[in-house]
Amino acid sequence: MTTVPVPWAEALGASLPPLVVQAERVAATVMQGVHGRRRPGQGDAFWQFRPYLPGDAAARVDWRQSAKSDRLFVRETEWEAAQTVALWCQGGPGMDWRSGKELPTKRVRAELLLLALSALLLRGGERVRLFGLPRAFAGRGALQTIAQSLPAAAEVADDGRIPRHARAVLIGDFLAPLEETKRVVAQLAARAVRGHLLQVLDPAEETLPFTGRVRFEALGVTEHALVPRVEGVRALYEERLARHREGLAALASASGWSFATHRTDQPPEAALLALHRRLAPG
Amino acid sequence: MWHLGPLAFAAPWLLLALPALPVLWWLLRVSPPAPRTQAFPAIRLLRDLPPTEETPHRTPWWLLLLRLVAAALVIIGLARPVWQPQAGGGGSGPLLLVVDNGWAAAPDWPARVASASAALDAAAREGRRVALLATAPPETGEPIAATGLVPAEEARARLAALRPRAWAPDRVAAQAALTTFRAAHPGPFATFYVADGVEHAPEGSAFSPFAGALADAGPLTVARAEARPARMLPPPRAEADRLVVRALQTPVAVPSEANVLARTSDGRAIASATLAFPAGATEAEASLDLPIEIRNQVVRLDLEPEAGAAGTVLLDERFRRRPVGLAAAIETSADAPLTGDLYYLERALAPYAEVRRGTPEALLGRRLAVMILADREVPEGREREALTRWVEQGGMLIRFAGPRLAERPDPLLPVGLRAGERQLGGALSWDRPQTLAPFPDGSPFAGLVPPAEVTIERQVLAEPSPRLTERSWARLADGTPLVTAVSRGQGRIVLFHVTANAEWSNLPLSGLFVDMLRRLVALSAGVQGAESEAPLAPLEMLDGFGRLGPATPAAAPIPANKVEETVASPRHPPGWYGTPGQAEDAAWRRALNLTAHLPAPRASAPPPASARIESVGGVPGERDLGPWLLALALLLLAADLVISLVQRGLIGPRWARAAALVLALGLTAPAMAQEPDGAAANATRLAYVVTGDNQVDEVSRLGLLGLSDFVNRRTAAGLAEPAAVVPGRDDLSFYPLLYWPVLADAPQPDAAMVAALNTFMRNGGIILLDTRDEGTGEGMNPGARAALRRVTRDLAVPPLAPVAEDHVLKRAFYLLQDLPGRFSGGQVWVARDQDRANDSVSPVIIGGHDWAAAWAIDSRGQNPYATIPGGARQRVLAYRFGVNLVMYALTGNYKGDQVHVPAILERLGN
Repeated sequence: MTTVPVPWAEALGASLPPLVVQAERVAATVMQGVHGRRRPGQGDAFWQFRPYLPGDAAARVDWRQSAKSDRLFVRETEWEAAQTVALWCQGGPGMDWRSGKELPTKRVRAELLLLALSALLLRGGERVRLFGLPRAFAGRGALQTIAQSLPAAAEVADDGRIPRHARAVLIGDFLAPLEETKRVVAQLAARAVRGHLLQVLDPAEETLPFTGRVRFEALGVTEHALVPRVEGVRALYEERLARHREGLAALASASGWSFATHRTDQPPEAALLALHRRLAPG
Repeated sequence: MWHLGPLAFAAPWLLLALPALPVLWWLLRVSPPAPRTQAFPAIRLLRDLPPTEETPHRTPWWLLLLRLVAAALVIIGLARPVWQPQAGGGGSGPLLLVVDNGWAAAPDWPARVASASAALDAAAREGRRVALLATAPPETGEPIAATGLVPAEEARARLAALRPRAWAPDRVAAQAALTTFRAAHPGPFATFYVADGVEHAPEGSAFSPFAGALADAGPLTVARAEARPARMLPPPRAEADRLVVRALQTPVAVPSEANVLARTSDGRAIASATLAFPAGATEAEASLDLPIEIRNQVVRLDLEPEAGAAGTVLLDERFRRRPVGLAAAIETSADAPLTGDLYYLERALAPYAEVRRGTPEALLGRRLAVMILADREVPEGREREALTRWVEQGGMLIRFAGPRLAERPDPLLPVGLRAGERQLGGALSWDRPQTLAPFPDGSPFAGLVPPAEVTIERQVLAEPSPRLTERSWARLADGTPLVTAVSRGQGRIVLFHVTANAEWSNLPLSGLFVDMLRRLVALSAGVQGAESEAPLAPLEMLDGFGRLGPATPAAAPIPANKVEETVASPRHPPGWYGTPGQAEDAAWRRALNLTAHLPAPRASAPPPASARIESVGGVPGERDLGPWLLALALLLLAADLVISLVQRGLIGPRWARAAALVLALGLTAPAMAQEPDGAAANATRLAYVVTGDNQVDEVSRLGLLGLSDFVNRRTAAGLAEPAAVVPGRDDLSFYPLLYWPVLADAPQPDAAMVAALNTFMRNGGIILLDTRDEGTGEGMNPGARAALRRVTRDLAVPPLAPVAEDHVLKRAFYLLQDLPGRFSGGQVWVARDQDRANDSVSPVIIGGHDWAAAWAIDSRGQNPYATIPGGARQRVLAYRFGVNLVMYALTGNYKGDQVHVPAILERLGN
């Protein structure tokens, strides 16, 4: 297990195997089968032998097969369009929040979605990498490693090592000012990375269900807002949230990205299915 | 004191704080409730919200009102409000509290004390000193005197110690005491007089001068019970077959009713009679119809609902025992079977009267109710004088005719007799033997039906006289008198004109004879005369409430022949008097009744015109409202606390509901009785005694669970889940077997527990006491032996013996050699076989093999405790012992009887 500097790494690590199991379970419900391309191309798996044609590189002749007869055979491998999908899960104290004991925190839900998506992608033969980590993961066994590497992933979705034309999935609450998100997305889009934003919110953040005189305190930073009567500002809050989401959707579509929302009181399968469809080729 | 209608305030200056309430209002309004803190990630969206509504962070008006009301209640409560305060005595100076505490005050004594106590409250508020004067002579025999002046609080204690007396108040003496008091305290004073409204002086009025003297000294307040009559129950009149009870009362305007209850010595009421007083009546009469045998059991009559000494009459032997003396002319032949003079009399009287035999003079040496002379002349001389005197004192002399009486009549006869006798139906007579005519109405025999087969053949004849008819209690069919009677002094002389044997008639052979004698004995006034001057010591005394108690110190003995005329007083309180050594013999005690010499109660004269009249009881007394208001304020503040917590979100609505529920429950139902449930009776189950040590109790439970399971699988017995019991708290009667692990620190069981366990054992239950330290387990539970001795000290444990080889416990189901549990090798003790109680089934089995641990099974069906020394065999044997034990508990020695089966079969075969 990688040692991580974050204080809650141990607690998180302890919760990882169940998270992985859950991710596998969630992924299994979305699984649509391994999507091989069923045609020759770049890849490792054997596809077929075909007679040598003039113009083929000599190196591609399969000498073992050719030795069995008088003709020369070229070994063709199946075309595997292995993509690299870079995943990012927002950190920070704001993600470690939930409005009720019966709900998961936003971070737990975000990591669950990330891992489940990873499981799906890995089964599909894709390569998965995490922002901030030097190498990509591949193969079905890599899920455990991804889970363990999660704490070491970058805080900010800004990694120059992401290959061009890769896909990116950013999961978080994106409650930061729109400019920050816009900068991140723009940087990635500049490198021809197409991606998807998934906003994970607690239901309380959507509906603001509190009443009376409440002093709201930010998490992580000392900031507070005293609301004399929460009922009175609820509509305003909802309007602001909607505007924020519109901004997110706008900046995503401006870069050719997509944007979706998810609430922690909803089952993760729906969000996962939507993500997976969006990533599926064709 | 500041009055506001019926409301008064003892500390009115505190009410000045009420105007400060608006300040409180303002303060509460300007300070909004503290906000609730909520962590929230999306705070950025809440930044810089435009001000929306102004009022919401203010305290809601109803909460404000609640708090203001609570504050107002606190202020008003501290101002000590009093509802309908008792008016003070008026005037100045100290308060003299006069209380009539004679017999007439007893029935509503608590109301009188409450009235006096209210006066003391008023005096305490006014800071007056108080003197107390009780008008009945104290039981110590000292003269009536007022107490010194003391603070009201001290007077309250003295008032609480005051009791109504079982005699009349002495207002003349009280007036003398008043004079003494005035001499000692010359200043002015106010008087509060709790009067009983009865004039106790035999004639004239002692109340008016006394009340007048009180009114002279200062303002007088008289508290009287207006609507209640004072009632008393004089001793009853004994008639042939009933007690006639009469009650007296002061006249009241409405008709009323009272009951007289006849009680036996053990307090049972065996008869009651209802007395109806018409409006304005002073007297009512009723009769208690009781057979003489039942009547003899009655020791007291109680007037209900009048509790008090005046409503209680003790009935001594004068009302109950009827010693009957029998004397015949010739003692030697008197008992000859079927022909003797006294043969039939003795048999007729013996069942319900005490029959004595002897010469008249010897019989009169003791107290006697009835004397029967069977054909015996009373010669001139000492015997006739003694008899005459006795009759005149109230004795009843019954004489039977006969040849001797016919020859020589004497003066002790109701009618003059003709010499000789009349013979009917003889050889020389035309007359047929005569039957009896129906009894005349005035006769004590009225109601009896003379059977037709009773015939009279011979009789003595009375001289005709004008009064013969009225003296005849029974006649023959032709009109000649058969039984004549006359009153002589307080007594009676009755003559049967036939013999007491079957010679002259067959009357003595009939049941009528028995009935007639019974009526006559019942009619007698009771034992009469011949009482010595031997002093009778006070045995039990009636207090003012009519309750019997030990003799008071001042009570003095009374000569036996003076009991009748003694008037109840502190020196001679009403109650039982007798010779202490013979106290158990009810025949030897005499009752002194308060009402025997009380004059009929008269309403006392009205108090002086200047006096203020109050009513005792009925009106609501003053009530201190302060504590109630403060409690209400506390309640409101508690509600406010809950509401505030909810508003600040510190507790959720669910908790708020729970808190409200707790608040409501705390107010309404501080303790809820546990419903007894009979679930334990629905199935047979083993039980274990809860020791308090959770681990041991769990082992007991698992052990009995394992054993029950084993028994259910191997035998026809069906045991339900074992029960945990606490003897003394739980009903043990449902359980055949009680497993009791004895801990080293087990406390000695309390009385309830011991009683429950003894009852359990007596009714056939078995207790298995397990010290868990026997055999191989020695030393596992040090101190258990001492604890065993401690817990069984008070239990009815029979003599014990080691379990014999052929004990049923070893062969009730399995044949066992020893009785192992978790440990093995120790000795097991049961009751010795000689004990035949409960069919020789031992109520206790004592051992130390830790059986429960051997039987225990855990949730996976395994045995969590290893056996020592060990082995599956020991486990099996432990379970087998358990089965034997359950069989022993369920079937007793039934299996023991099986050993006789071969012998029985053999005998049957032969």
